[in-house]
Amino acid sequence: MQPPSMALLRAFSPLWKAPIRPSIFSGLLQTHQPQQHTADFSSTAPRCKRKKGKRTDMRITNIRYHLFHPMTPRPLRWSRNRHLRHWTIHRAWQLYQHNLRHKRDEELQKQYFSMYNACEALRNIDNYGLTAEDRTAMGEPPSEGKETGRLYRIAMLKRGMWNGPPIEYARIQTDTPPRNGWNHQWTR
Amino acid sequence: MTMALEGACRPMARCVQRPGLKRINLQIRTFTTSNASRQEVTDITSTSSPPLPANPFRSPESSAAVVHKPQSERRLIAQHGIYPIGSRRRRAAIASTPSIPFHQLPYQCFQEARKVLQQDRVEKVAEIAEQRRRMEKVQTSLAQSQSTGDEPSVKQLERRLRDMRQHLEELKILADINDPLVRKKFEDGLGDMNKPIYRHLADKKWRSYKRKVLVQRITQMNVVPDILPHIDPTIAVSLSFGRKDIPHGGLVLSTLSEDAPSLNIQPFDRGERLVTIAVINPDVPNVAKDGFGYRCHFLASNISISPTQTRVDLASLDPESQVILPWLPAFAQKGLDYQRMGVFVLQQGSISEEETSTSTTEEQSSPANLPVQEILSAARYSKRENFVLRSFVDKYSLHPVGVDLFRTQWDEGTAGVMRRAGIPGWDVEFKRKRIYPLPYRRLKEERYR
Repeated sequence: MQPPSMALLRAFSPLWKAPIRPSIFSGLLQTHQPQQHTADFSSTAPRCKRKKGKRTDMRITNIRYHLFHPMTPRPLRWSRNRHLRHWTIHRAWQLYQHNLRHKRDEELQKQYFSMYNACEALRNIDNYGLTAEDRTAMGEPPSEGKETGRLYRIAMLKRGMWNGPPIEYARIQTDTPPRNGWNHQWTR
Repeated sequence: MTMALEGACRPMARCVQRPGLKRINLQIRTFTTSNASRQEVTDITSTSSPPLPANPFRSPESSAAVVHKPQSERRLIAQHGIYPIGSRRRRAAIASTPSIPFHQLPYQCFQEARKVLQQDRVEKVAEIAEQRRRMEKVQTSLAQSQSTGDEPSVKQLERRLRDMRQHLEELKILADINDPLVRKKFEDGLGDMNKPIYRHLADKKWRSYKRKVLVQRITQMNVVPDILPHIDPTIAVSLSFGRKDIPHGGLVLSTLSEDAPSLNIQPFDRGERLVTIAVINPDVPNVAKDGFGYRCHFLASNISISPTQTRVDLASLDPESQVILPWLPAFAQKGLDYQRMGVFVLQQGSISEEETSTSTTEEQSSPANLPVQEILSAARYSKRENFVLRSFVDKYSLHPVGVDLFRTQWDEGTAGVMRRAGIPGWDVEFKRKRIYPLPYRRLKEERYR
């Protein structure tokens, strides 16, 4: 949504004073100037009753300007039941969001651990897909040299990972083509 | 969805179907269902008084929005020339809305939200039951390892059990915290402090403002390092003399503090406990020492406190088994500054939960009851002057859990209060020692260095 233009507001704002042209307004400017309150260094409130003359506090002007600005939404004035109902809805929405976030986190955690387990399995197997325990169980001699975990090492190199299309576009490689071919209508 | 809306609309539909239904409970608050007495009273008055129109205070203009009987519609048109607004169904709905209980109000989003919350509550209750079952299992295995004497596993299981209990308490709060009726009841001050949710809400409310003010007052006025080295208040204490509630650290007139105050001690955790209450003045002038000492204005032990049993009137405690030092009026002699009066609530026995497993409670079975007669007969803590609360707390292994503070000053009533209480020194005025200035003219040989 486009916010309305501030140009008109600025013209009437007490903060952004348009530079008054000195032609016909010079007399006005002369009478206006001594009334202007200059901010002094003390932070205590001026004693308005003792010191005569109109004084404007810039802080109050600022607060009023922003508080009663037409773009500031009006305060919510609700009856008790209305407020309670709003609160109920709000809590339900928060709860729903929390559950959603929790579910996503769990999903991510599951994915992470399955990846971790896959890597761990890769690290332990040799060229024949056998772990050291499998070999001893089968009575084979232990694998020699860099045979164990070769696939794991290659995977960790991540060679050529960034050369092709982005990983987000990748499709998991399967033995057979998909049931419904390529989706030509797909757009991001 | 539609089912819920129908369910929500049902009372309204009933009202539409039964035009003869009298709406008698208009003035009653809509969803405090517990308050039956007021309803009875309204019923009786409405039956005894002559039949009134639906609402005598309603002007014809405003009743145009709610008339829904053909007869009354016709009367409105004929007598006032005002036509009813909207459909008859809508008018009936508006007229009957105050009699719909809060949780049945027919707002779609609200009802959907309630459904979500109820679903969550059901899950939480199931989780509580599951947690209880798990705890039972752990308890049985704990008993087994205790019988075998496996010390490390006993410790581990105890820790596990403690964590599980904590989680159970959290679940109990989570089950009810989203209930709008619970919230409303708490805001009205009708919450039952035996239930964990209301205790939790009260604790949160106390910690959000009152506790902060209290901690600020006791640290700014140095009550904490002066009387006791440290305190972390977990129990809300408020003080009142007669009907007058005293804010934390407020100055109290001496005539008001002549009689013993009453305390409202609100614990936020379950169960009864015994507390000791001590009122200590750390600003007693000691002229010989040119310093200040302590005076105990009140000391009583073995006071039973629970979340629902919070009121303690210091004047009406049992002098045999509870009171060690009865109330002495607060006073500050003339010429002195104000004097602080620290009110301390000290918990007796172990501070940990009373439900910890049996072996630990047997080990820590320190006597919760203080031997009042023994303390009285020994001179150490039965005299008021120079009563050191630190040593008392150490001697009887008490835990400071609550604190309050008020101040006293010399005022026009103090002399009378002191005379009536038989305290000497009401006619004494303290004055600062005059420090004479150095001679204006110095001797020649005296020089600044």
